Amino acid sequence: MAAAAKSSARQGPPKILRRAGRALAVPLGSVLLAFVVGAILVAVTGGDPFKAYQALICGGFGLFCFGGEPSVLQLSNTLVFLAPLIMAGIAVALPFRAGMFNIGAEGQLIMGAIAAATVGIHLTGWPPWALLPLVLLCGAAGGALWAGIVGVLKATTGAHEVVTTIMLNFVAQWFLRFLIIGGPLQLPGGSSKSSPIASSAQLATLIPHDNRIVFGLPGTVYRAHTGLFIALAAAALFAFLLWRTSLGYEIRAVGQSQRAARYAGISVRRTLIVTMLIAGAFAGLAGAVQIAAVDHNLTDQYFSDTTGFDAIAVALLGLNSAVGIILAAILFGALHAGGSVMQSDAGVSGNLVYVLQALILFSIAANFLRSFKLRLPSPGRVPSTPAADAVAEVVAHEAETELRADDKDTA
Amino acid sequence: MRKPPVRLLSLGVSLALAVVLAACGSTGSPGATPGKTIKVGLVTDTGGLNDKSFNHLAALGLSKAASTGNICSSLSCKSELGVQGDVTESHVNSDYIPNLTNYATRGYDLVIGVGFLMAESIGTVSGSFPNTHFAIIDGVGADSKGNDLKHTNVVGLLFKEQEAGALVGTIAGVLEKNNAGAKKKHIIGSVGGIKIPPVDHYIAGYQWAAKQQDPTIKTLNGYSNNFSDPTKCAGIAANQISQGADILFQVAGGCGNGVLTQAGKDGVWSIGVDADQKDVDKSVIVSALKRVDVATYDAIKNVKNNAFKGGLTFFGLANDGVGYQADNLTLPADVMTALNDMTSKIKSGAVTVPDTVP
Repeated sequence: MAAAAKSSARQGPPKILRRAGRALAVPLGSVLLAFVVGAILVAVTGGDPFKAYQALICGGFGLFCFGGEPSVLQLSNTLVFLAPLIMAGIAVALPFRAGMFNIGAEGQLIMGAIAAATVGIHLTGWPPWALLPLVLLCGAAGGALWAGIVGVLKATTGAHEVVTTIMLNFVAQWFLRFLIIGGPLQLPGGSSKSSPIASSAQLATLIPHDNRIVFGLPGTVYRAHTGLFIALAAAALFAFLLWRTSLGYEIRAVGQSQRAARYAGISVRRTLIVTMLIAGAFAGLAGAVQIAAVDHNLTDQYFSDTTGFDAIAVALLGLNSAVGIILAAILFGALHAGGSVMQSDAGVSGNLVYVLQALILFSIAANFLRSFKLRLPSPGRVPSTPAADAVAEVVAHEAETELRADDKDTA
Repeated sequence: MRKPPVRLLSLGVSLALAVVLAACGSTGSPGATPGKTIKVGLVTDTGGLNDKSFNHLAALGLSKAASTGNICSSLSCKSELGVQGDVTESHVNSDYIPNLTNYATRGYDLVIGVGFLMAESIGTVSGSFPNTHFAIIDGVGADSKGNDLKHTNVVGLLFKEQEAGALVGTIAGVLEKNNAGAKKKHIIGSVGGIKIPPVDHYIAGYQWAAKQQDPTIKTLNGYSNNFSDPTKCAGIAANQISQGADILFQVAGGCGNGVLTQAGKDGVWSIGVDADQKDVDKSVIVSALKRVDVATYDAIKNVKNNAFKGGLTFFGLANDGVGYQADNLTLPADVMTALNDMTSKIKSGAVTVPDTVP
């Protein structure tokens, strides 16, 4: 008792701050570790880490620029990367809460983009107030359909979602290629992209695209768009769904223990399917916003796009919470935007950004393996994180299939 | 209960502070050079600098202009001749516009985009910066439907690929006429990536020139609809070889490497494209060259000499914009004679090489 009082007197901040500190220790530690290791890599390879990071901060947030970069433009570039990362991050985080690992956000995003573009290209005569919502809805539906396949397979045949989502990513990527290279959506004239969507299907940019000079530059260079508000609304919706609805309770219950959830009268199968449908809708919405606000036509770029995979890191770094996902998306968006400035100003390859991302993911993954290990001796304990639970489930599932294979061998 | 790693956290915070403070302290100024130093920014496409093809060659042209002797890989290079070159690699297509814009906002004199795929991005950015010069390899500044916007501050650097195709086609034709190939059936093949103009230019010149040398020759042609997957192109190549083709021309980028290796496996000859490809496979007897380095250097020189002109500039044999490189085969004398003849005819304008595949 006395010890506790002493410690609280010494530590000062109230319990809630300490709890927040404990929760943030892992993600902040991971980010710092990544930056320290990254700095060492730059220094060892003959670069100047301080200059590199200064350029990175400049490219990401428009601060400390030394190469003459306009600050507002740098911020605007980061915001463009932010919206899809937030929505795709939710598409990974929600299934995590239900104990599933959605590696398929990329495929769901692509299907959303395809659905949105198809509608936006063909219904050119529609007024904006009808067409734009329809484009976004169709995008969400496309993503939901794609993820729904995974949910149904998981709930009925037990097919592992990691495998099915990865495979469906390939299907979506090649389907996209089929459509725009020699397929029905190809723009005439031999280029590997589709026609642009109708202008009434496009989301507005934050700064109007006319010839006015804004912050010293033509307004057309600022690509930050109103889809950001859609992303923030999606994050709010995600938090509300998870913590303020009975469906959210069921999702979390299934994620904590399927057996206990079933005992409590929750239909595990239904919850798994619904979770994937909603997650897919978020990823599909990310694709639709990207089409409606940034790209305006389907291009080959979605073949090499990595938003859906970065989203896994965003969800993990953001501890699968709405606020965390937004913060992590800001970091990853800034890293992506800052990479090019780092290359042009500090002469450090923009690929360093990918090293940093991988290091962040690595240290988080290392940590959740540790919490999994701590869980091992007493399997009955409540799992510490949904991530740990997801890993545990993968391992348990593998063990189970192995056992089954062994049974067959002996029989 | 586990305690939070407070010590680690505070260490991290102090490190972060150190980074920020140090960042505030340094004032890295990009060294002002006297005289009229022009600044050139090069943006690669997603192939990156190590593509051993046009991104690499464009960077080579920039380095030559900046006369450092080295490729300005990721480091910027400057020269006494008054050209400062900087390179940014694009990792995904959505990097094109920010990367191009980045140079334009910072007062660069010339911003170069590498590759047909950047046409729309160049079109967009050049519209926002009418006072900045832009150059694009293999394309024009286009709108979202691919139409040339005809911005006066954009020069499209285009190549007469058909002339390079005609040179390697001449070699193939003479070799077939002399029954020098493995199968002696007077059949040659070509594998294109996607049926787009630059690809068809090469193939058209190749087929035309081969027929000039050997009228009995039969040409096979296929498209993989792909520029990256070698197995697809290898499949098409294997098919053509089984039909009797013993010289295969690849015009399919990374996919086309499959053509070269398949030719090696089946003991027939192959022809590389864009850059010297003799290292890909021993079957490569010659490569059709597209001198992106020459075009890049030329564009920079024009800006430097205040001779920039918007519109289209074509690079062909006459201005060293295309050529060939003999690789794993010493070309016989009669091949050289035919080649020299073809070269002088094209240069003098006595013949015009067709640029569409019949």
